[in-house]
Amino acid sequence: MSDAGTTVIAVASGKGGTGKTTVAAHLAIAGARGRPTMLVDLDVEAPDASGYFKGAGRSGDASEVSVLVPRLVEARCTGCGLCAKACRFGAILAIGGVITIDPKVCKGCGACVNACPAAALEEIPMTVGQTSSFDADGLAILEGRMAIGDIRSTVVIEAAKKRAAESGAALQIRDCPPGVSCPATHAIEGADYVVLVAEPTEFSIHDLGAAVRLARGRGVPAGVVINKDGFGDADIAGFCEREGIPVIGRIAFKRERAASGAAAEPWSDDAAISGEIDAILALAADGARTDGGLR
Amino acid sequence: MITVSVASGKGGAGKTSLSAAIAERLGAACVFADCDVDAANGAIALGAAGTKSEPYFAGPGFEIDPAACTSCGACQAACRFGAIERTNGSFRVAPELCERCGACLSRCPAKAIRSYEKQAGELLVSDSRLGMRIVHAELEPGEDTSGKLVALVRRRAAELAGDDAVIVVDAPPGIGCPVIASITGCDLVVVVVEASASGVRDAARLVELVGSMRRRAMAIVNKSGLNQAMDDAARTMLKEAGIPVAGEIPFDPALRSVEESNRTWASLDCKAATRIRSALGAVDGAIGALKEKR
Repeated sequence: MSDAGTTVIAVASGKGGTGKTTVAAHLAIAGARGRPTMLVDLDVEAPDASGYFKGAGRSGDASEVSVLVPRLVEARCTGCGLCAKACRFGAILAIGGVITIDPKVCKGCGACVNACPAAALEEIPMTVGQTSSFDADGLAILEGRMAIGDIRSTVVIEAAKKRAAESGAALQIRDCPPGVSCPATHAIEGADYVVLVAEPTEFSIHDLGAAVRLARGRGVPAGVVINKDGFGDADIAGFCEREGIPVIGRIAFKRERAASGAAAEPWSDDAAISGEIDAILALAADGARTDGGLR
Repeated sequence: MITVSVASGKGGAGKTSLSAAIAERLGAACVFADCDVDAANGAIALGAAGTKSEPYFAGPGFEIDPAACTSCGACQAACRFGAIERTNGSFRVAPELCERCGACLSRCPAKAIRSYEKQAGELLVSDSRLGMRIVHAELEPGEDTSGKLVALVRRRAAELAGDDAVIVVDAPPGIGCPVIASITGCDLVVVVVEASASGVRDAARLVELVGSMRRRAMAIVNKSGLNQAMDDAARTMLKEAGIPVAGEIPFDPALRSVEESNRTWASLDCKAATRIRSALGAVDGAIGALKEKR
């Protein structure tokens, strides 16, 4: 649960490309009309939410996200290899008394430093990504971005969540990464409600099933938005009924909506959509408050 | 053995549809490795049957024995991931935050922390109605170590593949750990670029990763024709990166529900079919060239 006075809604999906970012951006636009709102981009491997706000300007400096990685002080190293034995990530090799550190696979846990009897390891920060803030006509946007070639997405996600919490925004809309593994888990952790965006395809139903299990396992209430409704024949609503999860909105498929989505242009002139988005936001906020929906 | 990895950066760009179509054209001579282990749809695309399953263990997790715990807090101080929670004076490990580093274990003076093994998913091998073997996996939702499971899927695929076989890897979205595991050591990366603002941006990040890993790449632009500027952006990005384009596939709603009709994009009749076959032909050509070099 988030702090009192703040509502955190996570937009997730399981399958990629169902419309998470589009739905999150529109929920944030709708939310910002009534209260201080922050759109938090936690899809740190592929951050695209800010792309919806062409006029957004940076507010404040980008903040580096780093982990502490070990550096060998060779003068003190006895070559005992206890550091390599302590590392469970294969980041340290000890061959013939020679220690080699691969900081790229280090998680920064500090186990090696604790294990070294000669105090021959010191710790230095290594950048794994950054968080940046933007302002789009009063809507605050916070973006987490993992460095290319890095594997520590969860560190960047946690840093972005922390910075978002410090902002004091009354409403946070999180744009989560696809999948149901550690990045998605970290992204929904601490949210009050999860909006699961699905599309009517067999692929989406399969992956929605996993996302429902993730939300249920984390004890976060959830509801489903059927995006691209009418695009395919797969029965998302039937699936939701069987799973006991509410459908909290439908966004009909239209070619011109797909075209706006491709250009990352908000559906601002689409009256039918804005009513639907307002209704989804109200249901999600209500679900967050009452702890309702999927449990 | 030749490994072709299909990746995109952005989710929903068409990786699974295209990798299944590449596999259909290769037929029984290929092994399909579905490395999108937490959203695995290759088995649906290729009509998996006769699936054999084995448990996947991710490695040790840690738990605190409340009977032995003296509530000293040394474990919480040692953990850098905030994974040790204190409620009503007693400590517990939150598995969803635990990185499995074991720092707590070595710091506990009461030896109250023990490691345990728990099944974190399944490794699956199936037959396909199209003749090839499918290696896939289902990671338990909320589990970590997807990169490790990807490596396992690829290893099993390599065991099943003959010397002259092609392994088609369907990679997950993103550019992180499981994507790197899906691309490592492959002979060709087919970069699927969705012709959209986010599709081009995410593909550009993937292209940079592929370049840093020194992998050969070619691209397929998917869902073109929705927005001219985005089509141009995709072409420009690929040209500047020096990546040859196998073809462009126009956005066509008829492509959406192939998985429901038990077919792949390789055997379709719709407006986009000719363009798809031409792109797939270029990928076949690249695979053929790789084989000849061997």
